[in-house]
Amino acid sequence: MSNVCEDHIFSKVFKTHSKTVFNYIFYKFGNEEKAHDAVQEAFVKLWQNCAKVSPEKAKSYVYTVANNLYLNVIKAEKVRLKHADSLVKDRTNESPEFLMEEKEYKEKLENALNALPENQRTTFLLNRIDGKKYAEIAEMEGVSVKAIEKRMHLALKSLRERIDGI
Amino acid sequence: MQENYLAKWLSGELSEEELREFQNSEEYASYQKLKEASSRLAAPEFDVDLALQRLKDEHIDNAPKVITLNPFRKFLRVAAVIAVLLAGSYFYVNTLNEEVTTDFAERSEVVLPDNSEIFLNADSHISYSKKNWDNKRNVDLEGEAFFKVAKGKKFTVSTDQGTVSVLGTQFNVENRKGFFEVTCYEGLVSVTHNNNESKLPAGSSFLVINGKIIKTGSPDGTLPSWMNNESNFESIPLKYVFAELERQFNVKVSSKNIDINTLFTGSFNNTDLNMALKSISTPSQTQYKIEGDNVLFYAGNTPQ
Repeated sequence: MSNVCEDHIFSKVFKTHSKTVFNYIFYKFGNEEKAHDAVQEAFVKLWQNCAKVSPEKAKSYVYTVANNLYLNVIKAEKVRLKHADSLVKDRTNESPEFLMEEKEYKEKLENALNALPENQRTTFLLNRIDGKKYAEIAEMEGVSVKAIEKRMHLALKSLRERIDGI
Repeated sequence: MQENYLAKWLSGELSEEELREFQNSEEYASYQKLKEASSRLAAPEFDVDLALQRLKDEHIDNAPKVITLNPFRKFLRVAAVIAVLLAGSYFYVNTLNEEVTTDFAERSEVVLPDNSEIFLNADSHISYSKKNWDNKRNVDLEGEAFFKVAKGKKFTVSTDQGTVSVLGTQFNVENRKGFFEVTCYEGLVSVTHNNNESKLPAGSSFLVINGKIIKTGSPDGTLPSWMNNESNFESIPLKYVFAELERQFNVKVSSKNIDINTLFTGSFNNTDLNMALKSISTPSQTQYKIEGDNVLFYAGNTPQ
């Protein structure tokens, strides 16, 4: 039986899930340093308890540890995201108005995202950036798929209202 | 529109009809733009290999491997089981009664936890609880024994023919088949036989032969005669004398043409068989013959 204590299994688990753990914590609190620390912390715990945690359980184990780590401890900071605007840059016939508009929209989106409740923002970004399915997010957060759909729906609604200035 | 339709739209789970309805709504354009813009968002850089290297350098290579604790846990489990077994058997053995048994031509001396002493005559057996001794001074007796009881709580000798209780004294109890005798040498002894209690002061005996209480004279000396290697009888049927002879010398006694219920008064030495045989045959006017471990008592002419 494969065991997380084996180096190659552990490395595989790390390579598969560490990036999402990092993003997950970052979306929650907007702090890169804390997100890096959470990854270290979660996987050290996994290593220490490798005999008890099966490879199948390792995924939810690291999310739980990372989540509990900063539970009620740190205050959320502003989440600063990058915008991959390669699509826009490739165009040669952009008008200055269009560029201006784009820049304005990004700012509005960022502000709207930061105004969201933590759980809606995390759910929205895990789906949009990491491409996580609702079922996967539900497992990470320990809630039902329906609850995630609700968060997603409310997140979209609030974002649009805030961006459109309703 | 179904519940959470925005989430369903994003995951492509709306029905065609619902999708058409949504696309015709005035806010659709805004949501479409939001969908596009958010798909181009990116999280900060995260170097997986670097993070893994840091983890190994800082934590794992220096940290003791927890897996090595497992065999120790197994050891603890086994140790716990052994401890429980040991403790259990200790208590079990502790609650068992102490037992002392003597065989034919054998004697033994037992010192009880309160320094009371028991001298066991041949072919006798006692048992008592060492652990419970302070609460209950009780000795079960088969055969014959002389007791020197230290002063203290009630001391009981239980036999199948009667119970003897004392506080602190010296007495002899003989409990043989059809024969029960208690002799008190010091203090006061209480004998319960067939639910009748008799008080036995120093220098008196209580004798029951075949269920009949028989009056006896006072014993000689301060010790039962067998303690001085002598078996003493006063108006005792011959069969009990023969039985005692068998016990003291580990021989087989038989008789021919003799009424074994004839009463015998006298004594025999417990160390010299020939002398003992003479001590019995002369007063009872019988003859005897020894063949190996067999002794035959007879009357009149020598049998062939």
